Amino acid sequence: MIGRWRYWRLKTKLLFLTLFTSALGISLVCISLILVENQNYRKQLESELHVIAGILAEQSAAALLFTDREQLGSIISSLKRIGTIRQACIYTPGGGVLSALESQDTRPCPDITQPLEAGFVGDAYQLLIPVTLDNETVGHLYLTSHLDVMRNHIRTFVLVTIAVGALILLALVFLALRLQRIVSGPILTLSETAERIARDADYTIRAPVSGTDELGRLGNTFNEMIGTIEQQNRRILESRDSLERIVEARTSELSMANRELEAFSYSVSHDLRQPLRAIEGFGQALEEDCGEQLNDAGKDYLRRIRAASVRMASLIDGLLVLSRVSRQPMENESIDLTTLLQEISDELMNIDDSVPTEVNIQKGIQVVGDSRMLRVAFQNLLENAWKYSARVEKRRVDVSAVETVSSITIEVRDNGVGFDMRYIDKLFVAFNRLHTPSEFGGTGIGLATVYRVVRRHHGEISASSEVGKGARFDVTLPVSRR
Amino acid sequence: MRDHLKFLLIALLQCCLSLAPAHGSVRSEYEVKAAFLFNFTRFVTWSHAENSAEPLEICIVGTDPFKELLDPIRGRLSQGRELQLRYPEIASDLSGCDVLYISESQSRNLNLLFDAARQQGILTVSDLPEFVRKGGMVGYVKQGNVIRFEVNLKAATDAGLTINSRLLELAVRVLR
Repeated sequence: MIGRWRYWRLKTKLLFLTLFTSALGISLVCISLILVENQNYRKQLESELHVIAGILAEQSAAALLFTDREQLGSIISSLKRIGTIRQACIYTPGGGVLSALESQDTRPCPDITQPLEAGFVGDAYQLLIPVTLDNETVGHLYLTSHLDVMRNHIRTFVLVTIAVGALILLALVFLALRLQRIVSGPILTLSETAERIARDADYTIRAPVSGTDELGRLGNTFNEMIGTIEQQNRRILESRDSLERIVEARTSELSMANRELEAFSYSVSHDLRQPLRAIEGFGQALEEDCGEQLNDAGKDYLRRIRAASVRMASLIDGLLVLSRVSRQPMENESIDLTTLLQEISDELMNIDDSVPTEVNIQKGIQVVGDSRMLRVAFQNLLENAWKYSARVEKRRVDVSAVETVSSITIEVRDNGVGFDMRYIDKLFVAFNRLHTPSEFGGTGIGLATVYRVVRRHHGEISASSEVGKGARFDVTLPVSRR
Repeated sequence: MRDHLKFLLIALLQCCLSLAPAHGSVRSEYEVKAAFLFNFTRFVTWSHAENSAEPLEICIVGTDPFKELLDPIRGRLSQGRELQLRYPEIASDLSGCDVLYISESQSRNLNLLFDAARQQGILTVSDLPEFVRKGGMVGYVKQGNVIRFEVNLKAATDAGLTINSRLLELAVRVLR
């Protein structure tokens, strides 16, 4: 019971407390009232009966002396009017019954020579008093009163008391219902407010505060706490917003600079072509038209100029490709990489078949990405493999793929000269070359372009090699970029 | 069978004996009258009796019908006064009497006695027929087996006596 107390609602607790206390008080008051009334009524009855008996004794003294039964009878019959009197007997001094009044039940008068119990006996009150004249006992008077009237009175009193008590309790219930709101109301409001704040995370809500008592102070403190939280929240949000703004600004600045740089490199590459074409064109014209007038040294210079202009043209092309793979919008399509690689290797085979070549490409490699970019990337990788294995007796190029749940790794392996792992850092940086142009031709842009394409596909590329034992490139692309 | 009869007889006797005191019919006529005489004194106030310590004298003139039946009341207290009995020889010697019982033998001297009683404030009692109508104060009357009494209130008042209303209530007849 007491354990269950705790789970009651605050309202119920307050109500129960008030009602229990008042019910206890009311019932105590009722019980004491009933007890006191009972006592009082008994005393009153007792004194009334004694007065009646006294009057009767005085009236009947003379008649007793003269043993006048008729007179005694008339005296005693006057008692009939008093409803509560059940029996009255008048005795001679010797104990003989001289006259008797018997109502409904006709029980004989008791023998007064035996000691008689007086007072409240059973369901009656009985008394025996001497009838005296000049201090001489001339007889006895016996009176019995039934207690029905008293019982009825007490019963009525009890009923009225209970009814009044119940009415008071009812009024108290009404009052307590109203009054408990004064106490529990602010607490409930506070708790509801706290719940609402916790649920909606809305720290602008304030609990209504009334009065300056403990509850009022609690409400004020609560509101202050919420205010502090609100302020801190605002500060956090403000700093986050400012950070976001800073990041945004920096990003836009950066991307603008990037775009400008790309535009610059594109326009430079593009614009550089025209003068180069002029140099090349006029170089060719000079060689064809005035070739005979030049001596050997002049012819050699002219050839070098023309070779340099060709190299520059290829450099510019490489730069244009690099800027294109950086600028072009990406497309997302499924690509049959095996077919693509086969086409590239067939082209390379047609261009350079000076060395016997064996190419092994794994069947059924499928990737997702931009086909033009990937073609550029793998063209570069296979060209490199071709180029650096040009001096072996038999060229060998292997392409295989390993698929995992989230990615696919394509491995391109050759048996060329390889490179020194010490310079791996410079491998994918534009214009960095690990071999001299006299050893192997090239622009130094190819692997940078590959790196760019792979990064744009959210993939990764790594290389490993040993000098003289070929090189190996691993391209890892995510399977599903969703 | 005989035992049963004996038991019944004893039971009957006991019953009668136990009933005897309860009913006064067994007492003789003069026994009752003597008791009444004493009781009358308790309800009468004498105007001349200043000293309540004086004995209360009951004088009996003429032939005494009570004889030893008055012995029980001799010396008893009535209103705090000791009861004394006197038997005056001559009707004129009534000084000091408070109650005068006039026997049948004095019926011829009634007027004389009444005069003396009125002058000296004496309560007159008698069982002569029509006693109160003749001028006596309290007279015994016999109604069947029961002894009652009559009162001449006027005569008593003339003699300066006050009779308690309780006594008057019990009287068969009161002459005013």
